[in-house]
Parts: sequence; structure tokens; C-alpha cells
Amino acid sequence: MFVYSDPDVYELELERVFPHTWLFLAHASELSGPGSFVVRDMGEQSVIVGRGDDDVVRVFLNSCRHRGMKLACEDFGQVDMWRCQYHGFTYGSKGDFMGTLLGAPFERQAYPQGLDRKALSLIEARVETYQGLIFATWDKKIAPLSDFLGDVRWYLDLLFGRAEMEVVGVPQKWVVPSGWKLPADNFTSDAYHTATAHSFMARLNLTKGVDFGRDGYHVAPDNGHGLGIGTHSDDESYFPPELQEEYRSRLSEEQYELLSHLKNLHGNVFPHMSFLQPNFIDIDGKKVSGLMLRVWQPIGPDKLQVWSWHLIEKNGPDWWKKAAKAAYVQTFGSSGMFDQDDTENWEAQTRNSNTALARDEEIMLHYGMGLGMEPLTEFPGPGHVFDGKFSEAAGRKYWRTWLDLVLKEPEK
Amino acid sequence: MTRSAIQVDLETRLEISDFLVQEAEYLDDRQYEEWLTIFAPDIHYTAPIRVHRKSPASDIVDDIGHFDDDFASLTMRVKRLRTDVAWAEDPPSHTRRLITNIRIRLTDIADELDVRSNLLMFRSRGDRGSYDLIAGERQDRFRRIGQEWKIARRRAILDQSSLGTKNLGVFL
Repeated sequence: MFVYSDPDVYELELERVFPHTWLFLAHASELSGPGSFVVRDMGEQSVIVGRGDDDVVRVFLNSCRHRGMKLACEDFGQVDMWRCQYHGFTYGSKGDFMGTLLGAPFERQAYPQGLDRKALSLIEARVETYQGLIFATWDKKIAPLSDFLGDVRWYLDLLFGRAEMEVVGVPQKWVVPSGWKLPADNFTSDAYHTATAHSFMARLNLTKGVDFGRDGYHVAPDNGHGLGIGTHSDDESYFPPELQEEYRSRLSEEQYELLSHLKNLHGNVFPHMSFLQPNFIDIDGKKVSGLMLRVWQPIGPDKLQVWSWHLIEKNGPDWWKKAAKAAYVQTFGSSGMFDQDDTENWEAQTRNSNTALARDEEIMLHYGMGLGMEPLTEFPGPGHVFDGKFSEAAGRKYWRTWLDLVLKEPEK
Repeated sequence: MTRSAIQVDLETRLEISDFLVQEAEYLDDRQYEEWLTIFAPDIHYTAPIRVHRKSPASDIVDDIGHFDDDFASLTMRVKRLRTDVAWAEDPPSHTRRLITNIRIRLTDIADELDVRSNLLMFRSRGDRGSYDLIAGERQDRFRRIGQEWKIARRRAILDQSSLGTKNLGVFL
């Protein structure tokens, strides 16, 4: 239990987990044109995710090569070049240290011996993209993003590849006094909590019993990812009729079939990118659900910053865009009727994890749901798929992946 | 817009001020059903997102927010708070809302006023004496319906780009 929030474990995570895995940073739609950028974090390091004047998306450590000052001091924007506000060292949109006139002020007087321009380029991370999701890593040796995502790609397609998707506005951000792994664990494999933590749904007759938490499938792909798929058996898709053609053109037949019966979908890409197509609800006679993307940004052993994005089909009808956004804000996000109860739980778990007993004398918790269950043999999607969402199979893989990284001595 | 002229009479000013003080009491005392009565049926209740941008870019993003509610969804939130499973606010936070700096302006519509006020909410939960402060500006559209004032639009601009409270289980 202590690993939820132990300060020494956290230090190991900053050293061994975050620099050695792929980290989700931004959606391509957040970078509208050349020079546009957003500021994000990898581990606790500030990075610039920028679209260069050559249209290529790059990720740089947000740190000037002269004295380490931050180059981008706003949340997002659009620039022709990065100019450090401390001494004026200047970089192009490809991270290159600029020429004599623009690079360093009074360069000829200050550095009569000249400057090694190549050595002054911004520190750049590896960047790869899947379905508009921009990931980066500092590790030059780990497998490509496509291998890392592996089987979870098939399911990510249902949310981020079914149509041309775009971020609405900017992410909501707020701070929760919780270890960062607790919500990741929750999204990976915890459909079970919905029956209790979110039981107001049943109390207010918005759902029947636990059907929205149980009916469907639990998926445990490799590499620590995990998800749960809620399905319905109605004839009609819950998604808007206006978008069916686009879905059909972008998805395989099997994916389209599953999307047509999708009621909700939750999941997490290791280590801390969560996604959710919330349970559809009826608003004014129409079925509505607002797609959400999350990062549980660590800002300490027992504190995280939630980044919460809402995405929508760019070519979707206006009624869907308006209703999906309202549904997202009302159910999830900082004021969301579901989210509130989750944050309360994660904070209280973290507080218990912080206690001395948990650290000195290890307390073991129960992660046994679904042990011994056999995966389905006839499911169209890849990975280990279990009938019904009540399973912690993906959660066990999540913690195994995490443990392997935490225990791995860094190469010198 | 000129701010120097007093645009409404003293009586109206007192009505608006009393209204906002009464609303704060409803919320701090958790009289949520009474609180709902202050809104017009077509209420749109939002809280845009603040961002850090270099001048002169706007630091307010309205495309999405912390709230995007109408009368039906506010009613749903209240009903939820009245269940015995609204864990995030049961036991409830201790809150105290201070409403100050009330500015009232006429609008193009005879029975409607633009009212801006400052909100400072103290919110305490748990057993260690910790608390959050939620600060912002409310931008309200007041509408006179019969003898009563109702709020037809609320835009609450919070003064943090990353909220320092773990959820907005409390109303702004």
C-alpha cells in the first residue's frame, strides 16, 4: 500500500519510470499551425510541444542552454522563435540556436572566440504520434510507440480514430492531494467502483442497478495498459446518425460493429494517460456522452495535477457538440458529478498510505478480482479480453509493468 | 464603458445586494432547493477556464469551462446532493462565501441588469484544519420577473488557472 505515495518510491519513479516510457503530452489539434506550442510536463520536467515552421511536431526541454531558464512562460501560444527572457539566447522553431545576429545578444563582444551552435541546440525528446495523440520519451532505446501501445491501439481507434477529433478549448487543470497512480489504477481496471462510488446514478433512476459498470468486457493488453468496454444490445448506435459514415470509413468492420454497441469505455495507457467515453445519458430525448482524455500529472509523492481534455468529432453536428460538451462538464471534470466522489476517495487512500504503519510494516491490499478467469477466445479485438467488466487483470499487469521499471537499475 | 455614473437607484442597489447576500446564506447553509429558486428557467451557469498568456492575449477561455449548466442540470446536482451517496460533499464542506465589490450596470433591456461581484469562498474539509480559498468574479444577468429578481445568466471567472481545490462540489 505504501507505494501509492511513498516519497522514496516517488523519487525512483522520477528517475526510472517517467524518463523510460512513452508519455502522452498533447493532441495534434492543440497545435494549429507553424509556431504554435503548448507547455506540458514529462515527469516533473517542463517541456515545450511545438509545431515547427516545417510543420513537424517536436518536444523540447523548456530550458535555455545558457542558464536553464524557462523559454516558454505561458500555457500556450504561437511564436516565430524562442527568446529567453533572461539573457536573450534565441532558438528557432526546430530548436536550433540561431545565427550571430539573433542567437546571443552582443555575441561578438561577449563571445569573441565564437560559440558552438550545434552544442547549444535545445534538448529534444523522441516524439511519435498515434491517432493525433502526441507522445514523447527521453529514452533513445525503448521500442517505438506503436510497439509500446500494441494491442491498445485497436481500442484507442474507437475513441480517437473513429473520426477527425479535436480538443475543445483548453484542458481543465486542478490539484488533487492524491498519489498519481491511484486514478491511473482506477481507470485501468476498476469498473467495480462505479456501483458504489457513483451509486447516485441508480438512486436518481439514471441507470438500472450496476449495468453501466458490469455489462461488457474487461481488456488487459500488454505493457500495463487496460480498459473496460460497456456495451448495449439495442439495435441503434448511441452515437449520432450524422457521423456514422465517417466512423465507417475510418474503422474496420469489427471496430465499427463494437462502436455501434458501445455504451461507455474507460481505460488507461501506462503510466498515466486515461480516457473515457462516459456512459451515455438521455438529454432532451437524445443519447449523449462527452469524450474525455486525462493525464494524472505528478507534482509530488502525494499530490497530482489533473489535466482533463474534452474531444469532439470535428465534423459532428452542432447539437452533438453542444450536448456532449455539457455532458462532459457536468459528469466529469472539476465539477463533474462523478469526478467529485473519485477525488474524495483518492485523497483518503493517499492519506492512509502516508501513515507510518503502511511504510514500516507493509500492508497488502486485495487485487484478486477475476483471478483464474479465462479470456474469451472469440472477441474481435486483441489482448486478453474477459466477459464482464468486473476484473482486475489489467490492473495486475499495470502494477507489474510499473514494478519492472521501478526495479530496473538505470544503465550508466 | 464609464463606471463613474451611478446607474441604478439606491433601492435597486439594496435589492441586488440583499439578493446576493441571501444567496450566499442559502449556499453556506446548504438550502439548495431555495437556492434554485433564484434562477430564471433559462439560466446558463458557466465558469470559464483561466490560462496564463502573455499580454495582450486574453487569459479567459470560454470554449469550455468548469461548469456548463442549465436549470435541469443544476437541479440534478442538487438532487444528487440530497441522496445518501453524495460522498464528495457528505459530510459537507464548511463553506463561507463573502460577496463584495458589487457593480451594477444598466443593459439594453429594461428589466435586466448586469451585476458583477467578487466572490471569496472559504472551504474546509477533513480533520486537520486545512482549507481552500476559491476566489473569482461573478458576472450575473439579473432579470426582473414580476416583483422578483432572478438570475438568468452566471459566468463565474475563477482566479486560478489550476484550481487549488480538489473538486468543485460546491457552487460558485
